[in-house]
Amino acid sequence: MQQIRDNITKAILSLIDHKFRSFLTILGIIFGTASVIAMISIGEGTKKQAIAKYQDLGVSNIIIRDKDMTDAELQTVRMKFSKGLSVEDAKVISDVVPGVVSVSPQSEMKMEAKVGDRSAKASVIGVTPNIVSILNYRTAKGDFLTTDQYDRQLKVCVLGASIARELFSYDEPVGKSVKVEDQWFEVIGVMQPKALFTETVGELASRDLNNDIYIPLSTFNKRIPKVNPFTSDVKQLTVKLGNSEQLLPAAVVVRSLLNRRHFNNDDFSIIVPYELMKQEEKETRIYNLLLLSIAAISLVVGGIGIMNIMLASVLERTQEIGIRRAVGGKKKHIMSQFVTEAVVLSVAGGIIGVILGVTLSLVISWTTAVQTTITLYSILMAFSFSVIVGITFGYLPAKQAANLRPIESIRHE
Amino acid sequence: MLIDIQNLVKDYQMDSVDVAALRGINLQVQKNEFVAIMGPSGSGKSTLMNILGCLDNPTSGVYRFNNTDVTGLNDDELSDIRNKHIGFIFQSFNLLKRMSALENVELPLMYAGIDKAKRMAMSKQALEKVGLADRMKHRPSELSGGQRQRVAIARALVNNPGMILADEPTGALDTTSSMEIMDVFKQLHTEGNTIIVITHEREIAACCKRIILIRDGLITSDTPNLN
Repeated sequence: MQQIRDNITKAILSLIDHKFRSFLTILGIIFGTASVIAMISIGEGTKKQAIAKYQDLGVSNIIIRDKDMTDAELQTVRMKFSKGLSVEDAKVISDVVPGVVSVSPQSEMKMEAKVGDRSAKASVIGVTPNIVSILNYRTAKGDFLTTDQYDRQLKVCVLGASIARELFSYDEPVGKSVKVEDQWFEVIGVMQPKALFTETVGELASRDLNNDIYIPLSTFNKRIPKVNPFTSDVKQLTVKLGNSEQLLPAAVVVRSLLNRRHFNNDDFSIIVPYELMKQEEKETRIYNLLLLSIAAISLVVGGIGIMNIMLASVLERTQEIGIRRAVGGKKKHIMSQFVTEAVVLSVAGGIIGVILGVTLSLVISWTTAVQTTITLYSILMAFSFSVIVGITFGYLPAKQAANLRPIESIRHE
Repeated sequence: MLIDIQNLVKDYQMDSVDVAALRGINLQVQKNEFVAIMGPSGSGKSTLMNILGCLDNPTSGVYRFNNTDVTGLNDDELSDIRNKHIGFIFQSFNLLKRMSALENVELPLMYAGIDKAKRMAMSKQALEKVGLADRMKHRPSELSGGQRQRVAIARALVNNPGMILADEPTGALDTTSSMEIMDVFKQLHTEGNTIIVITHEREIAACCKRIILIRDGLITSDTPNLN
């Protein structure tokens, strides 16, 4: 113990004596460690972002969308007896498919919303009150739609965070009215902001959920006239299952059930966000592995840097080694002295690298659209890897130092 | 008997030719002797000193140190003997440049596994003994040649080794410093240490109690110095 502590002190002093050289030696380790951490942080951040996106859609949900079709296509489908997605479909799925907890049908339409002289384009979504539990919707102010309001087909609405801001600025929206096209709706609540989902998921087009205006589906169907009489009653069914294991079997049942009910018209698509998430995870994993191996290579290169300088240092200190051997230093003492120096170097490089890597990740997060997540495991992994590299590449020079013959090295000038 | 050497031979390989550095040395040294080994350069005296100091192994022959045959010992065992029983003094001092006088003297104690506090105390005592109590924190570059050699002596005797081996200890010093160093040796001798000095200077050899002459790898004379 005493020996180890002495060695470490001696190593630190000796390295401080050669500040500049020591710094150059560990530069490789610093950048290697920093890049490992930055790479993992970017990878983790991307993964987290992706997961957040799918979590918005619900990882135990199946989403059934009415296909976007031209008027002609729509007409053909209707001639072949399919009515498109409907509230009845929702009820049948809920009754027949095993594992289903609840089903929420919804209709959608892009409309102009107005408050006073402010106006904005919004997605008006007709929903059933149970959507709250299916998609984890939460209100920031007021309440979400109630069953009572749904049953009575009231003209009430809940605003997304951005549309509320756009229409009301800093005024309190709850209790006021919004004019949607030519209808007035009373605002009963404002949603919490939602993660933007800017990418298309499966066949689900990207949409800013903060720009939604939620009204009861019953009110929607009663008050908002269809542009095309052939349009389906319902645009989307969101089916919540008890757990994610039931997703795939349930999706199979839903498909065959709807095919039968729609007379094999193939006018709907089924999206399982959980499956898409798994697939994306798999893809990002390969990508992350690639990034990580590049970073690891730079660490190894850093290790070779340590070895080079340590070998030069052994040569330069041949006489010192001879003196140490003459006064009774054993091979193992010389060995541990040089290994300790390599370890101290790589630990120092590792620490600076960790600081740099964390800083780099934060800066990337602040200045670019790339989200980074700093994880403890990445720090520990990068750090321990840099130390292992230091020991490995410090071993050979140390071995060489220990094997010098004392009588020859002591006369070495 | 401290040193008992029988028919010691040391060959070197130089450009695949064997060169005999020592060709059959017989030598006995008792405890508390003060011996000078003299000879011209190339006579084999440095080779002899390396073997006496357990820094090198002989090609053949027997070397008993403290009644132990050291020719068969491995590297670690030889290191232990150097550490505990032999103190070296070199012509070029061989101090570690980046360490203070005190740290240099501590070095053998560190390898002996002695703890820091005790090391400090022993090293201070050794430096006081050679008259450098006020120079402990100085680095070698801040000391004169004579002072450096005294640091080296302190390092050699800090472990109470019993035998001090000095290889041309005054070779790099002026006459005054040389005599000061020899005075330290004389003092150490009266305190019971065995001292072997390798030199080619008569004045230095004259300070010793026994003078051995080496030429071409053989001892040519071995006489007590009666001065």
